[in-house]
Amino acid sequence: MIETTRTIPRFILTLVVALCVSSCGGIQNAINPAGPNAENISRLWWLMFIVCSIVFVLVMIAVLLSLRQRTTEAADRVPLLQPSEESERRRRNVVISLTTITVIVLFVFLIASYSSGRSLRLNDPTKNGLTIELTGHQWWWEVRYMDVDASNIFTTANEIHIPVGVPVMFSLRGADVIHSFWVPNLAGKKDLIPGKISTIWIQADKPGVYRGQCAEYCGLQHAKMALWVVAEPQEQFNAWRQNQTQEAVAAASDTQKRGQQVFFSSTCVMCHAINGTPAGSNIGPNLTHIGSRHMLGAATLVNTRDHLAQWIKDSQTFKPGNRMPQNNLSDADLQALVEYLQSLQ
Amino acid sequence: MSTRAVIDITELPHHQFDTYDPVWWGNNLLLAIETSMFAILIATYFYLRQNFALWPPPVAELTATLKPLPLLTYGTLNTLLLVLSCGPMILTDRAARQGSRGVCQIGLVICVLCGLGAIVLRSFEFSAVYFRWDSNAYGSVVWFMLGMHLLHLLVLTTESLLLTIWIFAREFDMKHRVDIVTVAVYWYWVTAIWILLYAIIYYVPRLG
Amino acid sequence: MSHEKAQKTQNEVPTGNASKSSITDEELAEAMRSEREELEETWARPSGVWGWFTDTDHKAIAKRYIVTAFVFFLLGGIEAALMRIQLAFPESHFLNPDRYNQIFTTHGTTMMFLFAVPIMTAFGIYFVPLMVGARDVAFPRMNVYGYFVYLIGGLLLYAGFFLNTGPDAGWFAYVPLSGPAYSPGKRVDIWAQMITFTEISALVGAVIVIGTAFKMRAPGMSINRIPLFVWAQIVTAFMIIFAMPAVMLASSFLASDRLIDTHFFNPAEGGDAILYQHLFWFFGHPEVYIIFIPALGFISPIIITFARRKIFGYVPLVLSLISTGFIGFGLWVHHMFATPIPQMGESFFTAASMMIAIPSGVQIFCWIATLWGSKLNIKTPLLFVLGFFAIFVLGGLTGVMLASVPLNLQIHDTFFVVAHLHYVLIGGSVFPLFGAFYYWFPKWTGRMLSERAGHLNFWLMFIGFTLVFFPMHQLGLNGMPRRVYTYLPETGWGTLNLIASIGAFVLAAGVLVFIVNAVWALRAGVVAGDNPWGADSLEWSIPSPPPNYNFHNIPVVQGRYPIWQATADAPIVRGLNTKKRETLVTSVMDAQPELRFDIPGPSIWPLMVALATAVTFIAGIFTPWAFLVGAILAGITLTCWFFADPNYENKSARETGEKSEKVAPRVELQPKEV
Repeated sequence: MIETTRTIPRFILTLVVALCVSSCGGIQNAINPAGPNAENISRLWWLMFIVCSIVFVLVMIAVLLSLRQRTTEAADRVPLLQPSEESERRRRNVVISLTTITVIVLFVFLIASYSSGRSLRLNDPTKNGLTIELTGHQWWWEVRYMDVDASNIFTTANEIHIPVGVPVMFSLRGADVIHSFWVPNLAGKKDLIPGKISTIWIQADKPGVYRGQCAEYCGLQHAKMALWVVAEPQEQFNAWRQNQTQEAVAAASDTQKRGQQVFFSSTCVMCHAINGTPAGSNIGPNLTHIGSRHMLGAATLVNTRDHLAQWIKDSQTFKPGNRMPQNNLSDADLQALVEYLQSLQ
Repeated sequence: MSTRAVIDITELPHHQFDTYDPVWWGNNLLLAIETSMFAILIATYFYLRQNFALWPPPVAELTATLKPLPLLTYGTLNTLLLVLSCGPMILTDRAARQGSRGVCQIGLVICVLCGLGAIVLRSFEFSAVYFRWDSNAYGSVVWFMLGMHLLHLLVLTTESLLLTIWIFAREFDMKHRVDIVTVAVYWYWVTAIWILLYAIIYYVPRLG
Repeated sequence: MSHEKAQKTQNEVPTGNASKSSITDEELAEAMRSEREELEETWARPSGVWGWFTDTDHKAIAKRYIVTAFVFFLLGGIEAALMRIQLAFPESHFLNPDRYNQIFTTHGTTMMFLFAVPIMTAFGIYFVPLMVGARDVAFPRMNVYGYFVYLIGGLLLYAGFFLNTGPDAGWFAYVPLSGPAYSPGKRVDIWAQMITFTEISALVGAVIVIGTAFKMRAPGMSINRIPLFVWAQIVTAFMIIFAMPAVMLASSFLASDRLIDTHFFNPAEGGDAILYQHLFWFFGHPEVYIIFIPALGFISPIIITFARRKIFGYVPLVLSLISTGFIGFGLWVHHMFATPIPQMGESFFTAASMMIAIPSGVQIFCWIATLWGSKLNIKTPLLFVLGFFAIFVLGGLTGVMLASVPLNLQIHDTFFVVAHLHYVLIGGSVFPLFGAFYYWFPKWTGRMLSERAGHLNFWLMFIGFTLVFFPMHQLGLNGMPRRVYTYLPETGWGTLNLIASIGAFVLAAGVLVFIVNAVWALRAGVVAGDNPWGADSLEWSIPSPPPNYNFHNIPVVQGRYPIWQATADAPIVRGLNTKKRETLVTSVMDAQPELRFDIPGPSIWPLMVALATAVTFIAGIFTPWAFLVGAILAGITLTCWFFADPNYENKSARETGEKSEKVAPRVELQPKEV
């Protein structure tokens, strides 16, 4: 018994160190902040983590120290019903002091939490700022860039670009069930609730790709409802945005034209919109610029020709239960369609 | 020869009114559960009300009034009936404590009749609300309130009826006298809850 | 049993009733001999299949609850193991998403509703009468009803699960996902109605615990002498009474939205998805304290027994239990910080959620103060209590982190929360529960569990638990959300998930050791006497296992530690009928004798009412008319119940025919020492 009571702390310590070392970086990581919101929260996290670790260790030491005197005597030794006044008084003082310290620590946490919360609330964030309307669907993200000038409004899906160093306002809606928008490197999460509008502002201070994921169980494919937030310098962002407001690139080569034909004669056109063509359905993700997106299926697959072909043919193998039907197209048709879609940069 | 002190409880009764009897505790704990339920239901009513600019919501067909308010007649009659029925119930309660069987019998019969009357009036109250349970959230919550209280009216009336039959046909013993006093508490509770619900269902929409 | 203070003077012992008398030892011995036979006959349990359905003995019902709940625990554990196998590797195809979603929903629902609350209720039902000195619970037939309703609810859920129509919207089933539009079929209806069954069962258990603990205590057990176990059960019972109605409304509104087109949660007609969350969590947060507080009531007696001294800080401990119960009702919005609720209110809930750590802290400090300086006998029950300290404290600290709104917005709905909740529920409830199993097994069965196996059990569980759940804190911070059936390899979550999955099997091995230990001990364990641990509370003053009637003579309690403080000349209560089931009812504050309360004997009606309830709510999944039919059935069976003769089976009751209707005169008890 004596052995084990000393090996417990050693064991725990090793485990803790091993786990901490395992990953502190990453593109979907709350303690690898890339923006002021996440930075703010990360600071709060470290404060609480350090204080709580100290408290935990101290309590464990106290528990272990209280185990110093042990016995295996029979169960009929005389119980202590009248401990000495002095030992009881000592205990009382210790318990009162520890309780007081607990209250103080909690107060510190409360204040730290409150002030952290205050800085998360931006005053008047929409003035001259970028506003994005994000609608959560089962199981993809509809992204609509708003603008004062209506011709600059456009819709895309699953991949959000933002300029570095600028706060971006997100207006969140749930189309069907509750989803939650969470990009841990940049900010905490906010729920998208049908019938309500919620807002969150996000700012990236470093260029990069940040992965987010739906954080409220929303049904069968909740696990694969992710998104990318690409933070880029202002000029690059402007260029990207400019491109997104354009209508789809016209089909040029024969294969592309054939692909476009396939698009219109299959079930694709029932759900997907391609601006500048008759396809205008908004049941599924907007494909106007699908060729320039990095990922498919809400950040499930990398957007390559092969993957796109497999996805179109049978997306159910990658994301079973998603709303897109299988498409039994001939190889030639499929290749043409892929060619066409990849041309929509 | 040693002796042991003994606490002799042979003379203790088997039943007693009020807090002495575990039945009192059981009954009041069950009423506490139901009170919590109604409290949360009332909170739900006010919560849903926040979602409406006009409460109840307007209806196209009713041109005279913008809001179809619940009609007051049946609800008010019902409230009066229940409040008045507490009179005979109080007398029955007292009679049960004092042991006068005749008064209990008459009192309970009157109360059962009042209960039946309340149930009949309640069925008219549902249509006085204008909306159905499946029209909108207002209809849903008001029907639920009326329905849950109706459930209690049914249980209360049935329990009173069975007790009435018993004290006519069988013994008027201490156990059943305690039961009468217990039902009386339930009776007052059903009335009190109704007064609260009546005020909310019929007058909150009229607050403007 | 006496100790050095055995020579307490007579005037510090509560003196008796209107008629205080005395009896010689020989007369007493003579009476006891013949009475014991009569008591055994009066309290005899019915046998056979019919007997199983009609038995009202609280100990039998409690043991049934415990076994049933433990079976559900194992089922929930298997579900967890399946999930861990699926998550051990990225993009695993072990379970398809639909199956996984049903499994995680059923795991949570099973553990929370079918295991944790019922097993805590069961301990209350078994031990509260024994610890307060009563012969039965206050409402034995209601107890039977509660068990059958619980069993039926559990069977309903698993029937659905095994027929591939189990609920799949999570254990809290948020709308609109669980609503009619996005959860077609009967899956969620099964969940909603199962809630009704388990909630009725819990409410019934709560009424029984309060009735027993308040009104059936032995003389001398004034309110400041109530054992901490019983205090914990009382606080829990009150929490159940005020919290359960909220989930009843949440599940009823959901069921009626689905079945009869109401619009409670339909935003298109003025309903509100967040309303559901408020209703559910107003119940849901107290629910976790309903699971946790009884476990706190296990810890105190175990510490008292193995430290072999009076507890330090009885009053602060009681006040902590009560304040935890109160504050627990003011926290629920901390489950909703990511929703668009007004931010002003959020700070209140942060403060309350942090504040609740204070009474928990006080309890931990008091327990450590009791252990400190005492010579400890580290038997398995105490080992599990030490495990509680290590695990629950960590869980409580992560809870304080989650209480902070900004931090919550990062870690909410991630594996960090999964880690937190398992740390507080397993550390805070399951470890003390296992300690309680080892501690009270001798009382239930008359045999001791093996200490060596017990230590192995503990270490496997402790190490396994840590391997499973500690890495999850990191996974949450690394961006892994909850309730995901798989994850992509690029996320890098594979390693920690694999560790967690391996740990699951270590934990399972620990539970297996327990089962083997229990099965072995039933046959070959060391025979336990009345009081193998030398403990202080009344359940240890009667044989193991206890006779059906619990106490031959209701004792008179002389302090907070009845056995340790009993004097040889303590009065005994005489006069309870041995030919009819009776127990003593006393006053709430001072335990003054008040009534000789009739205890009903075996009856078929509780089962009948349970079946009527079952018809109502199971058929209610398919048609609203079931409620009308069910109500009529329930009315008929309830009438039979209440108007049946409670002692019908007990023929000799009719022979005594005594009626005493005098009011008990007020008795002055001498001032007594605590």
